[in-house]
This record gives sequence, structure tokens and C-alpha cells, in this order.
Amino acid sequence: MSHTHFRFDRRRLLAGTTGAALALGWPASQAQADGRILVIARSDPFKSMDPVRAFEDNSSLLQELAYSTLLTYAWLERPYRLEPDLLERLPERSADGLSYQFTLRRGVMFHDDACFPGGKGRELVADDVLFNLRRFADARLNQESWFLLEDMLVGLDEYRAATLKAPPEADLSGTAVAGLVKQDSHRFTLRLKRENTLFLYAFASPATSIVAPEAAKVDGERLATHPVGTGPYRLKDFERKGVIRWVRHAGYHRSYPAAGGAGDAEAGLLKAAGRRRPFVETLEMPLIEESQPRILKFLRGELDLVNLDRAAIDRMLRRENGRYQLLPEYTQRFTLYQSERLTAMYLWINQKDPLLGRNKALRQAIAHLLDVPGDIETVQRGAAQPLGSIVPLPIAGSERDTGARPAGYDPERAKALLAQAGFPEGRGLAELTVSCGFAAIEWRDRFDFHRARFAAAGVRLKSNFTDQPTFIKSVEASNFQLALYGWVADYPDAENFYQLLIGRNAAPGPNLASFSHPEYNRAYEAARLMAAGPERLVHLRRMNDIVRDEVPLVPLYNSLRVGLRQNWVRNHKYHLLISNAAPYLDLEGPPSRR
Amino acid sequence: MTRFLLRRLGQALAVVFGVALLTFLLFHAFAPDPVRAALGQHANASSVAALRAQWGLDRPLLQQFWLFLSQIIHFDFGRSFVNGDDLATLIGNGAWVSLAVTVPPFVAGLLISVAVALFVAYHRGGRIDRLSRALFVGGMSVSALVYVIVLQYGLAYKLGWFPINGYAGGWAAPHYLLLPWLILLAVSIGPDVRLYRNVLLNEVRADHVRTARAKGASEARVLVRHVLPNAAIPILTNTVSSLPFLILGSLLLERFFSIPGIGDLVVSSLANGDFPVLKAVTVLSALALVAFNLLTDLLYVWADPRVRLA
Repeated sequence: MSHTHFRFDRRRLLAGTTGAALALGWPASQAQADGRILVIARSDPFKSMDPVRAFEDNSSLLQELAYSTLLTYAWLERPYRLEPDLLERLPERSADGLSYQFTLRRGVMFHDDACFPGGKGRELVADDVLFNLRRFADARLNQESWFLLEDMLVGLDEYRAATLKAPPEADLSGTAVAGLVKQDSHRFTLRLKRENTLFLYAFASPATSIVAPEAAKVDGERLATHPVGTGPYRLKDFERKGVIRWVRHAGYHRSYPAAGGAGDAEAGLLKAAGRRRPFVETLEMPLIEESQPRILKFLRGELDLVNLDRAAIDRMLRRENGRYQLLPEYTQRFTLYQSERLTAMYLWINQKDPLLGRNKALRQAIAHLLDVPGDIETVQRGAAQPLGSIVPLPIAGSERDTGARPAGYDPERAKALLAQAGFPEGRGLAELTVSCGFAAIEWRDRFDFHRARFAAAGVRLKSNFTDQPTFIKSVEASNFQLALYGWVADYPDAENFYQLLIGRNAAPGPNLASFSHPEYNRAYEAARLMAAGPERLVHLRRMNDIVRDEVPLVPLYNSLRVGLRQNWVRNHKYHLLISNAAPYLDLEGPPSRR
Repeated sequence: MTRFLLRRLGQALAVVFGVALLTFLLFHAFAPDPVRAALGQHANASSVAALRAQWGLDRPLLQQFWLFLSQIIHFDFGRSFVNGDDLATLIGNGAWVSLAVTVPPFVAGLLISVAVALFVAYHRGGRIDRLSRALFVGGMSVSALVYVIVLQYGLAYKLGWFPINGYAGGWAAPHYLLLPWLILLAVSIGPDVRLYRNVLLNEVRADHVRTARAKGASEARVLVRHVLPNAAIPILTNTVSSLPFLILGSLLLERFFSIPGIGDLVVSSLANGDFPVLKAVTVLSALALVAFNLLTDLLYVWADPRVRLA
């Protein structure tokens, strides 16, 4: 076991060698190529580095280092755009939209590993991808991310059903699947059951990363802690509860992007354009679960990036015109980053509840009693944006495009609606229960904040705080009145959020409100596969109007990610869909400062 | 003695069976569904059923309990639900790390508390006794969390005397564990000194002590030769009954200092609904408690020849 950090000494040594290198006229990038260590803390333990066995942020953070996916998102460009990763170009769609041809990039190499003959990684070929797609569908391995390709590819669901019945050790990887067609060593075609433009997003998810079949066949269990892929970093050593060390994959196939968004060139984000990634030789990822030591280590320069929680925001930042600013004592040392996340929080209103489901005016009154800006200011120290529609702000189709506005905190309007609902001043209205599956103190604060607001209008609230699984069980059984629960985007398309309220997704599906509105469903089906544009916006606006009128849920807020990076970190731009920035980052400046 | 041992062994088996049954029933009745916890927002009926089957949670309760009992008998608790790690290895490794965290301050704390308690008992009723009471009661009133936060900030970050957190095995361990040891010592010494002082003061008034004084023995000799041996049983009880908790480590310290011990494992498992880990740790803790209680009884005979086991 070793979590030692003698990195300061090494960096001092590095300062000497770098200085000597520069004196000899070597290019700076070459001089700095070795011995540098990027340190990014993990805040929670990971489940598995095997892409099909774990679909959660802490595992994705590592899977993105070891593996590559067929597609990925452009690092700098906004709005988020899919681009080829293991592919030579974006998949080519057939005229009927029912098949896509994929062409693999040539010369992509797996990491060197003992699973290969002679321990030398070989080139990635189409068979590897098809093997991984079958592995992804194997019900004995994948319970968490199967939804990404469920009911999409011809024959794949049947293959999954067969794996479910097969004994644990049975190898079905040779079974033919009609929807997976190999053309030659670097080309294959995927056949769809029906037209679906959204299915390509699945291939940018870490869950569909390509593992070396040799490693999976030798010991599939071992992939959980011994990844063998084509990713930018190769695992050097690991301790589940300690430091995970990675070294640069010298044969990695990707370069730093040459195109960026507005202001990226001015911010110096394009200086590394065209250079082969990753830039930093060694990456260390210690597990630091508590916020205090994470922040202290960052302040001391032992971590390169850190996300801030409420306490750290209070201590290190101030707000100016709704944006955070670093306190003056930190501005010379750190750079602040802040970005809306791809999550949306809602107050769900159960349409099956005998009281709330039948009383639209009461639901509308509730929407006007929610002081979301007050919640954000008081409870979240400003680390969120109020939401006017069901879609988080960075996604195309959000209120930035549709113009949707929140119902807004309006106690007078709420009182009028309460009277209209048959409960003037709240008289005769039973106490309403708010269910919540989050344990953090912030949620208690939030409930107390809103309880006071509601009480002022005569509406009494009581809380039902439980653990997350118990909460999910009860809301899926429609056993609640009001529930605080959010949704995290699976892909950056508004469809992923609007589907939350369609009738066929009613509880136990993700439509917790069990909302069923034929016109909403029609608008959703019309917009689902439509490309972004004015025609789609018409349908999205109609859905927003229905939600605002019927109030099956009240959109609350879109959380912000607020963090700091050391000033010596280069190329950092907060990305909502790439969990681990390390393969893009570079370190600059005299090592003595670090 | 043999009859005593056999009887205590029978009692121990009954206790462990009772703990296993209670643990099993409580987890099934009140704990959140681990399958739902694992699958999150994308749980659909088929995934839930598949994972339930994979983890053996679809079997009849009696069959699951029998499996749990056989795991206890074979000391093989299977694998973690969350990451698939072998629990015997996970708990074995964690226990050694936790012992590295807790044993040195425990031993140092015992020696220091007995010495300080003797010193305070020597000065009973005087200014030193009053000062120590104020100091230790004040120290005991401060939450352990405050010690951790303040000392990590002050001594590790501000003064830079210790690493902020981290852990390494072998010879590098003390470098990382020094601050956690100091904190554990600071937290535990107050209650122990207070307890041992009271125990010693009870003995101070005993007849044989008065006789020793009457024979002209110095106060220091009276305390060390006559009071301390006779106060050994409560000290022994307190010490031995603390031993099982050493293996469990310190939840707070392990968490704040990123030390991969059992305490940290328990906190993570609680957060993730990793019930195989929690069940294994609960039963192993019960086993350790039973074993150390038995050890305490046996040590009584050694400490006090008047005690007879029957």
C-alpha cells in the first residue's frame, strides 16, 4: 500500500531538469514531457472500471481514462456536439434511417498488457466492437446501462434474453446477432428496429467503451480493477480506497482539438491545438471523501482541481451580479469555473393522489408558493439557476430556446387559486406531505424554507424523509403527494427530459406524477426524433404550456457546478458530458510554484 | 474451569446465532432495497429482477438465512454488492489498517491515563486535582469531530507539521498516522483518567491501604504497590472491553484522513447499501465482543486470585 506524495521533491528535481533542458534549447513541451504529475481527487469510491458493470459517475471518471468510445463530445465546442473517437468519421445513415455504417480509425492500439501475446497491445478491429456490443447486452453482466440500447438494434434484445437464461460461465460471444454486421476488419453496420436518431448518443457513453476481448475472456471479473482498453491513460497501480495512478498511453490516437467555442482562443484554450494527447505523464487520483481535507490539499497546491461545496463557497467566494467571484486573497493563485449542470430538480405532484390529482387550481397554487429564487439564494448560496421548463439550461430545447418562464413565487396569486380550489386561506386543506430521498442537511434546510413560505399562505407541509431506495420504491408505487426528485441527462437532448411526462412512462416508470395528457403525448412523439429547429420548438412550447397549466410537476432549479483550478492548469474548460478532464489538461509554470 | 469454558462457549454460540438472526431480519425488514440503490434512475422491472437473482435476493428468506449462517461458519462472507470485492480480503485488509490507527494511541492512552490518574489521586482534593478535572471534563465535552476538524486545519494545514491526509502501509505509516494518533489520544484520555481516578480513590479508602499507611509506607508507594493492583479489575474490564472496537477503527478519523480501515468501509457501505459488508462487520463485531468478554473473565482470575470461575 502506498499513498505517498513525495511529489514536491520530484517537482523540485524536475525544475532543475526543465531549466537545464531549456538552457540546452530543447522545446519546452519536450522538456516537460516526463515526470509531471496531475493530481485530481476522487470524492467517492468507484464501483467497477468494467464499463458494463457500473454506470455511475465515480466509475465513469476512471473508465474514461482507460477506454475509448466510438463517439465522444467535442471538448471545447458548445452546444455539445458528437464527434468521432474510435471512428474515422461519424456513422453514415442509410436512406431509410434503419442502418448505420461505422468505420473504425486505423492504427488505434490497445494498451500493452499480459493478456496479449508478448504483452504487446494490438490494433483495434471491428470484431472487438461487435464483441463489446454483445457483452454490453449480456444480462449476466449489465443491469445498469442496458437501457441505452434497449429495444433499438435488431436481434440484440433476443440475445440479451438468451444470456439471461444461460449459465453464468457459458460463452455466448460467438452468437450471431442480426443487427450487428461486420463488413471488413475496420467496418461494420448496425441495423435498427425502427428509425431513431438518438441512438448514436449511446456510443458516447462510457458504458459502451471498448474493452480488449482478450482481457474479458481471460478473467472478466478482473476488468473491474484491471482495465485494458485504448484510452488515454493506462492503469499503473490502484488502491480502491487510496490513490489510483495512471500513466500516459504513448500510442493514444487522439490530438487536442483545433476548433473551439467563442472566446476559447482568447482564453488560451487553443494553444495546444493538434498536439497529441494526453500531455501529462502521470495522473494520480487519491480518494478524499470529506470536503475539508480536499479543500485544504487544494489550498496547499497538492490538488490541481477541486469542486466546491456550500461551506467552501461561503469561505472562498463572493457573488457579484449573480455570478461568483473569488475573494481577492485567492485571485492570484486560483481560477474559478462555474457551469450549469445537466440535472434538473422538480417538485413532483402525484396525479393519482385523490386531493391533488383532481384539483388543478390547488396544483397551480402550489407552483406559485414555491419561492425558488429564495431557495437558491438562502439554501444553495446561489449555486443554481431557477428553471422555467423541465429541461436543464445547457441543453438545446431548454427555456433559452423555448422562452418558457417559471410560474414564479406569487403568494397573492396563490391565495386566489387556493380560494378557487375550495380552500380559502388554506382552510379545510389537509396537511400535504413532501417526500424526499436525500439525506444531506441541505434538503432539511430546503424543506424548512418552503414550509415557512407555504405556512404564510395557510398551507401546511410535513416532510417524509427516507433513504433513496425506499423513496424510489414509494414514488414508483405512487405512494406520495409531493416529491422532491430530479433527473440527470443521459444525453444532451431535450427529449431525454420531455419523456419524463409521457403517459407510457407513468410510474413505476420515470413519470413519477403518472401524468397522462393525450396532447402532450402527441407533441412529444412529433418532436422526439425531429432535429433542433423552429418546427421542433413549436412542439416543445406546446408541452411547456401543458405542464405549466396542468402542473404535474414544478420545475425548480438547475444546479451549478462551482470549482477551482490551480493557475498552472492549462486547457481546462468545464465539460458536462466528459467526467474526466485529465486527458485534455496540461501543467505549466515553474514547478517551484506548485 | 473446563465446565466454565464449555458453558461460555455454548453461550457465545447462542449469542452469535441471535445476532446473526437479528441482523438478518433487521436488514430485510428495515434496510433500503440494495437493488434499487444500485440501479438508480434507470431501474426497470427486468433489470431489477435480473440483479435480484444475481445477488440471490429472490430466494426464500429461510434459504438466504441458511446461506448467511454457512458464511459465518466458514468465515466466507461472499462478495460486496457494490464492487464485487471479496469480503474476507476487504475486511482482513481493513482490520489491519484500523488496528494500525487505533492500537498505538490505545496503548499509549492506557499508560498515560493510569499514570495521570495515579498522579491526580495522589493530589486528590488539591489544586492539581481540581485543575485536571476542569481540563479533562472540558476536553470530554468537546465533540470528536471538532478535534478532527480543528487539528487537521491547525496542525496539518496551517503549521504543516503533518500531512493533511493519506495513508501508506509499512514504515511510512507513522508519517500519516501521527496526527490521527494524537487526536485519538486527546479524545480518549479524558474519560479514562476520570474513570481510573475514581476507581483509585475508592481503593484509597480501603482498610489495607490505611494499614499500609499506618505502617509508614510513603504515599507514592501506597498508590503503586497497594492501590493500583487492587484497582486492576475495573481497569482491566475497561481495557479489554475496548479491544473489539479497536478492530472497528474510527469512523471519523478514517473518513477525514482517507485511511482505508474498517470504519471507512462501514461508512461507505452504509451510504451505498452494501449489506453483505454491513452484515459481515456486524457479525464479526459480535464474535469479537463475545471472545473478549470471555478473555476478560479469564483475566480476572489472573488479576485477583480470590476470583474463581465456575
